[in-house]
Amino acid sequence: MATLATIAFYLGVIAYSAASTLFFLDLVRRDGASTRATWAPRLLGLAAAFHAVKVAVGLSREAPMESLHLALSFSALCAAGVYLLVHRRANLFATGAIVAPVALTFLVASQFVGAEARVEDGISRPLLAFHIAANVLGVGLFVVAGASGILYLFQERRLRAKQLGTSSNRLPSLDTLDRATHRLLVIGFPLLTFGVVTGAVFSGHWEAMEGAALARSLFGYATWVVLAAVLVARRVAGVRGRRAAYGTLAGVLCVLLVVLVYALKPGGHGS
Amino acid sequence: MITVVGLSHKSAPIGVRELYALPKERVPDFLLDLVGRPEVGEALIVSTCNRVEIVAAARAGSDLGRVAAACRSAFAGLSPEAPADGVYALSGGDAVRHLFGVASSLDSLVLGEPQILGQVKEAYEMARRAGTVGAILHRALSRAIHTAKLVRSQTAVGSGQVSVPTVAADLARRIFGDLGGHTVLLMGSGEMAETVARLLAASGARLLVVGRSADKVKALAEAVGGEAHSSSELGTVLEHADVIISSTSAPGFVIERDAVARARRARRGKSQFYIDLAVPRDVDPAIEKLDGTFLYNIDDFSRIVSESLASRWREAERAQAIIDGEAKGFDRWADGEQATPTIVALRERIRGALRVELDRSLGGRLRHLGGPERAALETMLEASVNRLLHLPTTRLRRAASLESLDTPSFPELTAALDSLFALGEGDAVASELEPSGPDAAPLESVPSGEVAKLGSR
Repeated sequence: MATLATIAFYLGVIAYSAASTLFFLDLVRRDGASTRATWAPRLLGLAAAFHAVKVAVGLSREAPMESLHLALSFSALCAAGVYLLVHRRANLFATGAIVAPVALTFLVASQFVGAEARVEDGISRPLLAFHIAANVLGVGLFVVAGASGILYLFQERRLRAKQLGTSSNRLPSLDTLDRATHRLLVIGFPLLTFGVVTGAVFSGHWEAMEGAALARSLFGYATWVVLAAVLVARRVAGVRGRRAAYGTLAGVLCVLLVVLVYALKPGGHGS
Repeated sequence: MITVVGLSHKSAPIGVRELYALPKERVPDFLLDLVGRPEVGEALIVSTCNRVEIVAAARAGSDLGRVAAACRSAFAGLSPEAPADGVYALSGGDAVRHLFGVASSLDSLVLGEPQILGQVKEAYEMARRAGTVGAILHRALSRAIHTAKLVRSQTAVGSGQVSVPTVAADLARRIFGDLGGHTVLLMGSGEMAETVARLLAASGARLLVVGRSADKVKALAEAVGGEAHSSSELGTVLEHADVIISSTSAPGFVIERDAVARARRARRGKSQFYIDLAVPRDVDPAIEKLDGTFLYNIDDFSRIVSESLASRWREAERAQAIIDGEAKGFDRWADGEQATPTIVALRERIRGALRVELDRSLGGRLRHLGGPERAALETMLEASVNRLLHLPTTRLRRAASLESLDTPSFPELTAALDSLFALGEGDAVASELEPSGPDAAPLESVPSGEVAKLGSR
């Protein structure tokens, strides 16, 4: 099984790398029809399949809540899965240029930064499983939302500067990017809320909170506050476009900080 | 191998070009008349607003100079009273490169425009239907279309937009994506503004027209297929408009920053794209600072068009290299094709001689052979012709290549073959080739036992 996981890991890395390259080349190509547009999502799908094999092997040996690298890997798989599900319908092809390298980074990081986590007695295992699942799926959705936000800002900047390079017409329209970012946040926010609430429940069992755990919690709350503000501002005051994209990126940055703290200072729930 | 005779926007003004323009319904008759001439074997005509060109191939035995002269004469017949100063004639490699360049849009008024390829294809299709396209033009046009596709996919000669209306429509799509369900507001008249509005409306946008004069607004709305509104409704209409095209002759700003800010609030932050084509400007440039509001004026559009054109011209060099390579390939094929008439005639002569002998035998001592045996003999005859002529065919084609230094040369070889086999002299002379006397050894002389063996194979 370990050999299978290793093979799946390396094949996944190769396929993610190839997909990232094709997405990037398609973004910067000058003109003419390109087969890259067809092959990039296929390669991403192939990478996700290898990735899924690796995750499945991992799940057969350990629960995700007890393994940071498995949770990290699962988040990347979710991001790739969300992209593959929505890119055609939401016309978000170019977002793959960000999702693919992020998934690759998470996959590679999951191989090398992981550490066993400890689960304190008294924590409900089923609730913890839902907590982890919600957070993992939420991270996947927010990664794609962040990618859309980055592309929005890039496209908007070029339009304002009136510099119409030949590559920017490969990007989705501003409206498409704005709408996609908003929808992904709307879907991800309940998951985030659930993750934050259950995280608060678990914190009741913490006898003493370490610096890293505190930082994780604070960044988690900050994510919730920032993304809630983005959604409320859009609903109440019609804040969208550039400001909404910046807000989304701030929220996604908080998510990544949570992941980063986890990576640098691993520690289990209840620790 | 081919010749091109005609004129284009580079050689003649529109006043002359329109005299030569050939309506589609007259094309078949014109082409049939042209290939009816003794020199012209194949022909097609490309007739667009920017060029009228005959592309023709010579009939076997006729040289390109005479074909070009025949085409010139036919071309002059299109408009006997028109000046012929701008009419050019290209032959051989120059004609091939020109044809490939035309199909690839390197010779177009707007470099890299995509319509010309469709027009070339249409010209080819019309000639094909008229029955005036043979092997040479078929090959030439196929390669021209292939080359045009290569140029389009491997260079950026067709990238970017090169007219103000298409740039405006492209920008609108970059902001809003699909324009269906979006609203376009047109203020003021002007050919360019109306073209932009029509282009956006054709993409599915709803069109509103606003102006001070009710009659003019109504007429304009009818002309562009929009809804008429008075200028007093501008504030309300502005709230609903996603794209605003302004081209009035007002001396000051027609759309102020405050009005746009109000509209933006009412639209709850939805993007707006302002296209200001007026001089002096209609739209306050301060609106550019508002989030989600994009403003392009006539200078912005002109600069984008210039940049696109400059980029296309830079790519034209790479496109020309592709064309040269492909034209060279066609030249090689065309050189080899020079040998085709001789090869065909030689095959016919050999096959004819064998056929006479075979028929004689099948009608004599071999008359008892059944269908399968006769079919086997037919196959054997074809195989014999192929085997016998394989080496001469290869050597003839090699000698026909312009780059060949072989001796004897291609003309010497064809002359020798013509002389030895009387290739150009018909069947009557060919009877001289019939064997007679003691050397003649028809199949009838083969012992019947051998023939029986042959039939059983």
